[in-house]
Order: sequence, then structure tokens, then C-alpha cells
Amino acid sequence: MHASRQSLQYARQLFRLSLADGQISAERVSGVLAYLDKHPPRQPLVILQHYRRLVAAQLAKNCAFVEHAGPIASGLLRTIEDVLSKKYQRPIAAATRPNPDLIAGLRIQVGDDLYESSIASQLAALSAP
Amino acid sequence: MFTLVLAATAEAHAATSSSSPVDLLLQFGVEWKYVVWQFISFAILAGFLYQFAIKPILATVDERNARLAVGLKNAEDTVAKLAEAQQQAAEEIKKAQAAANKIIEETRKTAKEFSDLQAKEATTRGNEMITKAQQAIDLEHKKMLEEARLEVARLVVRTTQQVLARELSDAERARYNEAATREITTV
Repeated sequence: MHASRQSLQYARQLFRLSLADGQISAERVSGVLAYLDKHPPRQPLVILQHYRRLVAAQLAKNCAFVEHAGPIASGLLRTIEDVLSKKYQRPIAAATRPNPDLIAGLRIQVGDDLYESSIASQLAALSAP
Repeated sequence: MFTLVLAATAEAHAATSSSSPVDLLLQFGVEWKYVVWQFISFAILAGFLYQFAIKPILATVDERNARLAVGLKNAEDTVAKLAEAQQQAAEEIKKAQAAANKIIEETRKTAKEFSDLQAKEATTRGNEMITKAQQAIDLEHKKMLEEARLEVARLVVRTTQQVLARELSDAERARYNEAATREITTV
């Protein structure tokens, strides 16, 4: 289905209504979804998809996805959260996910930024042309 | 006949020996008036012939002689002109021969220069081709060495990955993770 300009603009308006102090508010998101349920727009699927993409992007900005190989102490995760929150000047929560391909080390993604220090990346740099 | 001649001769001899020449002529029957008339008629005839026959003939002869003289003169002039033309032709031929020889010599020289130039260009082109081929060979050699180096590096890295993935303990990984956290947070 072709997304009309009005639908995308409407999705952005809904997204702005979902923010509280620059952060995604679960209550407001629930309210927006309830409103859409009661008053379905002309292109509900397109609007919801775009709205979900905007909300996910905003949530990703406040979340640091930490991939790791081997055990990682909780203290290290808090250190990462503190440092990144200071750096980006917004609260950032760490979400871990094991990745054995790293062999050892970490790969952290915050929004579009990627930080990595792992044995796999160092070995890849050695074999790069 | 012979007798008559002898008789006349004898009579003439007798008359000659006995009288003057005029008498002798008279004895032969020469009469002066006829002689005069003969002279007059001869003179008239001679004049007539001279006026209407000899004079035109002489004029024609003179005209023909003049024509012959003119023809001879023309022939001499023609011969002279012919000789001059032959001489000029010979000179022209000589000049043309010299010019032809000069042209041939210049052509040979030009051909030799062109041949030398072609040979030089061919040599230069050949050297350039050899240089380019050598450069291509060197480049290919470097590329091959680089590919070999990359392949060796990949093999080493893959082997190292396998070894590390199998041999590293959790404690070692945890220490590495701490170091990685320090590295990332200090960036």
C-alpha cells in the first residue's frame, strides 16, 4: 500500500503525542493506540507501521544493546549505562545479548552508533586487505 | 651529187682566186636587199621572241631562282633552328636529367629518413609495450602476492578464532570484557 503524505504526517503527530519530557511514555502510547482503536484513520496499517518505526527508533536511542562473549558483570553494565548517559545526555539503559562470534569482548550499539572491542574485530582487522 | 660539189668547189676556187669577196658573194647569188630584209625579219622575230617568250621565261627562271634561294635560305634557317632546337633540347634534357637525379636523390634521402623515423618509432613503441607489459606483470605479481598474503592472513585468523573460541575460559573472557569496557568507556 502506498503511504500518503498525510498518513506519514499523522503518524509523526501521534509520535510527538507519545513523548513525555523527550522520552517515550508508555501511558501516552497506550492512549494513542486506544484513540486509534476507537477512531480508525483512513490508512490505519500504514500509520501504525510508521508510528511503530518512530517509537522503536526513539526507544533505540535510549537503549544500549550490549553484545558480549563470555560472562559480563552487572557492575560493568552500570558503568556502561552511566558513561553513555553522560555522553548522550539522556538516560540510556543497557540490554545484553550473548554473541559467541565475538570470541571475547563487547559490541555496543546506541542508535546508529556502534562501539566494539572484541577479539573477532581485531582478527578481522588483521585479515582485512 | 659528188660531181656537182666538186664542180662548185672548183668554180668557187676559181672565183676566189680570180675576184673580190663581194664579187664572190654575188656569184653565189647573195642579194643585199634580201639580206637586209632577212636581218630585219630576224630582228623582229628576235624581238618578238625576246618580248613574249624569252623575257617571261627569264622572269619565271628568276622568280624560281628567287624561290629556290628563299627556300634554300629557309632550309638553312630551318637547319640552324633545328640545330638550335636540338641544342636546347639537349640542354633541357640535361637539366631535366639533373633535376630528375636531384629529385631521386632527395627521394632516397626522404625515404631513408622516413624509414629511419619509422624504425625509431617502432622501436619506441616496442619499448613502451615492453615497459607496459613489464608493469602489468609487476602489478599482477604484486596483486597475486597481496591475494596470497590475504589468504594466508584469513587462514591464520580463522585458525586463531577457532583456537581462541575453543581454548578461552570464562574467566579469561570476563577479564577481556572488563578491558573492553574500559576501552569503550574511555573513548
